[in-house]
Amino acid sequence: MTNPKSESGRANGAPPTIEFTDPEVNIDDFRYSDLPGLLALWLLAAIVFLQFFTRYVLNDSLAWTEEIARYVLIIVAYFGAISVTRRGTHIFLEFFYRYLPPKFGKFLAVAMEALSTGFYAYLSYLAVILALKTRTKMASIEIPKSLLYWGVAAALAAMAAFSLYWLIRKIKQTPEDLLREMAEHSVPANSD
Amino acid sequence: MTLLLLFLVLFFLLIAGAPIAVALGVSSLVFILIDGLPPVVVLHNMVNGINSFPLIAVPFFIMAGNLMNTAGITTRIFAFASAAMGWMHGGLGHVNVGASVIFAGMSGAAVADAGGLGNIEIKAMRDAGYDVDFSVGITAASSTIGPIIPPSLPLVVYGVVADTSIGKLFAAGLIPGLIMALSLMAMVAFFAKIRNYPRDERFILRNFLYTFWHAILPLFTPMIIVGGILFGIFTPTEAAIAAVAYSMFLGIVVYRTLDLKRILRVSMDTVDITASIMMIVAASAIFAWILTAEQVAQHFASGLLSFTDNKTAVLLIIMLVVLVVGCFMETIAAITILTPVLLPVAVSLGVDPVHFGIILILNLMIGLLTPPVGLVLYVLSRVSGVPFERCVIATAPFLIPLVGVLLLLTFIPELSMWLPNRLYPGPGGN
Repeated sequence: MTNPKSESGRANGAPPTIEFTDPEVNIDDFRYSDLPGLLALWLLAAIVFLQFFTRYVLNDSLAWTEEIARYVLIIVAYFGAISVTRRGTHIFLEFFYRYLPPKFGKFLAVAMEALSTGFYAYLSYLAVILALKTRTKMASIEIPKSLLYWGVAAALAAMAAFSLYWLIRKIKQTPEDLLREMAEHSVPANSD
Repeated sequence: MTLLLLFLVLFFLLIAGAPIAVALGVSSLVFILIDGLPPVVVLHNMVNGINSFPLIAVPFFIMAGNLMNTAGITTRIFAFASAAMGWMHGGLGHVNVGASVIFAGMSGAAVADAGGLGNIEIKAMRDAGYDVDFSVGITAASSTIGPIIPPSLPLVVYGVVADTSIGKLFAAGLIPGLIMALSLMAMVAFFAKIRNYPRDERFILRNFLYTFWHAILPLFTPMIIVGGILFGIFTPTEAAIAAVAYSMFLGIVVYRTLDLKRILRVSMDTVDITASIMMIVAASAIFAWILTAEQVAQHFASGLLSFTDNKTAVLLIIMLVVLVVGCFMETIAAITILTPVLLPVAVSLGVDPVHFGIILILNLMIGLLTPPVGLVLYVLSRVSGVPFERCVIATAPFLIPLVGVLLLLTFIPELSMWLPNRLYPGPGGN
């Protein structure tokens, strides 16, 4: 971008000074629990690119890619949700907490975290039931469809575990610390 | 009665700060347990609700936007817009809108626009001596152009829920997006006049050519995406992966601004955002399933139409409902829940689903600029350091042109439908 500091001293008509690279990026928040979601994303990118490539360059798209891509998207969503739960950055409304007394705010935040923990754990149990009941194979290749539900069950179990970690942390925190941390987490990197 | 409980539980949990996906899922679960349905349908819907090929475009449009922000491509676009439009009174305000239009052709999300480009815009305007309220206001308002001009995540989700051609929706958004840009520029010109804003720099051909040269390769991106989809060369999913591949190529090979560390950062952010959105889509799927099973759309339609069957009045009421819901609900969740309820009413009055999609999304984008769930305002409050409440007030004047455009688009369907009707003649389309 145009560097404003050099603006006044610049000769008229000189090309603007442009700094194109961003400052150093930070990946300190990477944890091994992010790997499943990342690998699923890269796998999805590879599959979609492969389909794109075979359709345009080889003029003959691979039949299995569409179905598999849809299942991998589901896996990206659920494995990725492990990272989201670990960071505590699920999209939620922080607005009303600004107007609550800290003690009540803490009570509500702890209650909602407990609800989330229970919900993920219960969904994980439902996913196991569904996996045990599913006997069909995928339409395009010989992979049992239950594998998808096992993956979802594992992801939900991991989410329940990280949510439990947050629950304990929130119970131990002072109301003021808890609310400050919530305000920091209320802005997702991006949503729509 | 149980239906009322469904909504009460949902709104209580939302206000109490449960994650939106959890609030939708738990309220649906409560309903299903009371109604005696097998609870496993909750999980079944939460998995199969995202089993959709067009939704695969979502992570890659997010990734393309993130790659462009990280590879410094956004900066090049801002520099180009600055050299091209900075000579006007209130120049950086116009630059802000122009850069958003270009970025809108690459990214599908208002919040990506606010977080990436917004950061650069607010800093540049502050350094040039603009008051911070004006900077925040125009940045917030112009970021809503992103999801109207293709590509657009909300339009992809709407297309999936409404079972409507995403190619047609994308075509329909182009002209409305440009009208929004013009209306915001008119607002900037108005402020520039009453506050006597200076010209930021003279138009210098050398600067213009220099920045154009540095932005020329990124400027191909909107052409690849928008042109490719509109002329039926790419499906939206293919356009999304093409945009990722092209911005990777620019970042790694041409500009050499992307290293492994940056790609890992972009991938982590992409996974986070994708998962957050997909969890909401998944949980909305079970909620919408209940609304369909309970025939809420039919009840709503007969209730509304018994009140009035005047098309203008009904459309105004629907837009008002969306505006209110949009203030309280996150966009993706609002789309998945409102579409099955409102679209049948609109269609029964002869509104095209494509036209309805455009006005629904624009309406919800206005909700992103209003409290309590104004996500764009939260992001800008963070990047600018301006308190949230002040961001709300700073953005308020810019709601006037946006609401004006919304009314214009609602009552003149041709503004949205002309281009898709030209590109996809005959029923069905892409």
